[in-house]
Amino acid sequence: MELGALQTVVNFFLGLGASVLLPIILFILSLIFGAKPGKAIRSSLMFGVGFIGLNLIIGLLSNSIGPVSQGMVERFGLKLDIIDVGWPACASIAFGSNISTLIIPAGILLNLLLLFTRVTKTINIDIWNFWHFAFVGGLVQWATGNIWYGLISALLFAAAMLFFADWTAPAVQQTMGLPGVSIPHGFSAAPVPFAIIINKIIDIIPGLNKIEGDPDTIKKKFGLMGEPLIMGVVIGLILSAVAYMGDGPWTDWLTKMLSTGVTLGAVMVLMPRMVSLLMEGLIPLSDAARDFLQKRAGDREIYIGLDSAIIVGHPTAIATGLIMVPITLILAIILPGNRVIPFGDLAVIPFLVAIVIPIVKANVFRSVVVSTVFMIPSIYIMNFLAEGTTAAAVAADFALPEGANLITSICDGGNWIPAMFLKLAENFWVGNIIVAVVIALLFVILKKKPAAMHKLAGYTPENEEK
Amino acid sequence: MAKKILVSCGTAVATSTVVLRKIEENLQEKGIKADLIQCKAAEVPSKLDGVDLIVTTTPVGDVGDIPVIQTLSFLTGIGVDADMEKIISYIKE
Repeated sequence: MELGALQTVVNFFLGLGASVLLPIILFILSLIFGAKPGKAIRSSLMFGVGFIGLNLIIGLLSNSIGPVSQGMVERFGLKLDIIDVGWPACASIAFGSNISTLIIPAGILLNLLLLFTRVTKTINIDIWNFWHFAFVGGLVQWATGNIWYGLISALLFAAAMLFFADWTAPAVQQTMGLPGVSIPHGFSAAPVPFAIIINKIIDIIPGLNKIEGDPDTIKKKFGLMGEPLIMGVVIGLILSAVAYMGDGPWTDWLTKMLSTGVTLGAVMVLMPRMVSLLMEGLIPLSDAARDFLQKRAGDREIYIGLDSAIIVGHPTAIATGLIMVPITLILAIILPGNRVIPFGDLAVIPFLVAIVIPIVKANVFRSVVVSTVFMIPSIYIMNFLAEGTTAAAVAADFALPEGANLITSICDGGNWIPAMFLKLAENFWVGNIIVAVVIALLFVILKKKPAAMHKLAGYTPENEEK
Repeated sequence: MAKKILVSCGTAVATSTVVLRKIEENLQEKGIKADLIQCKAAEVPSKLDGVDLIVTTTPVGDVGDIPVIQTLSFLTGIGVDADMEKIISYIKE
């Protein structure tokens, strides 16, 4: 009898759906960390609003781009049926997964533990970007059917990002002029190992190693394309021009082109607005979590772990982001076997290069080479992860239209770190223990050889400065 | 007339939302009115019309004579009061 009653209660909560359940959980979490109830209620509800809003926009996007991809298949045999819905969608999918409520408190406790054992110097107060960890957790949970496996992988990702933040902090602080800050960001971290290797290779190629990429010239030349609205409209026009070519009279063609253009422009403008509502909903919790962590950090030297949003304004990041839009689209078309239409995340490529900037010394030519080389496996990873990402979206109550395409996002759907965790889930314990050992080793190396490691990440020791 | 403050970060999503809400709350408490507009750092140069002050978490490039406060205080919680004083000194005359 009692068990039956419990079952009813559990089913009731699960039946509420993410847009109701998440605000409730968020509210409770905020109170636990000491936020004020009045503020917490309003913000938690705002989170639910953002969730609903985002759901509407994703519907708009897939309704508009679905027929486009069908057209490409019919007319050109280009099978582009996986839509890059963009990181905002992935973030809310991640926050909508039932693992997100575990990863926030667990991630904070793990951070405290590593801080007190003096393993890390970073306190990651960027609770918002815990969604990257939740995303990995959601994928692993989907693959294994076990939420605890998901949580373990998510926590390993969180620990790896603390290492990454410690490692890159001196370079980031120096290049960006941000003392005391480190960046434990799940997407910006991904290209760094590639960047170090590619940069070394460029160093030894005569001719290429002399090219100087000046960001300001490029920014001026590409100016208008940098606006999400214009980018959305232009991509919409081009894609629909191709997809609907020769489909009925030219007036129909033009109508479809124009309406797809404006709709995709709308998606680019509206999507970030909706996500900023989600963010607004997180403020009391992230403030409370920040104070909770800072109070316990004492007076030791710490880095404050923040979002890479604070460094993507660097001219090199913006310039690279602009150049990478056409390059990414071309890659998607020419790479054999690819099914992804890049769209939503074309606007956030600056995040990809944020932490690469110190390594390439702000040279746009080099950051474009790094991004291009990184983008090729990234596109294949998106193909690989699309099924899991889509399943996670469905699990988080995102209403994808019937018979809809698969979805992905360059940001995390094309990121080798989540892909690695998903692959390791096939042999969960062996794989995750190896990852744990590697992370531990990396922390040890950083402790033993800080100077060499920081230099690798692009830090210029003071005695070498000109 | 209320002064216009542009609040920017990398995406106009995450950090600038936090900054904007905090400034708004602080100004409300003090009874000061201002128009706060959120945007991406890359868009700042195209949105300068009538702007009196720019508060940003990331570099914004060339904005002419408009004062820029680049700060992380609203994110880290350290130095908020000092930054609020600065902001108020710019928008109050």
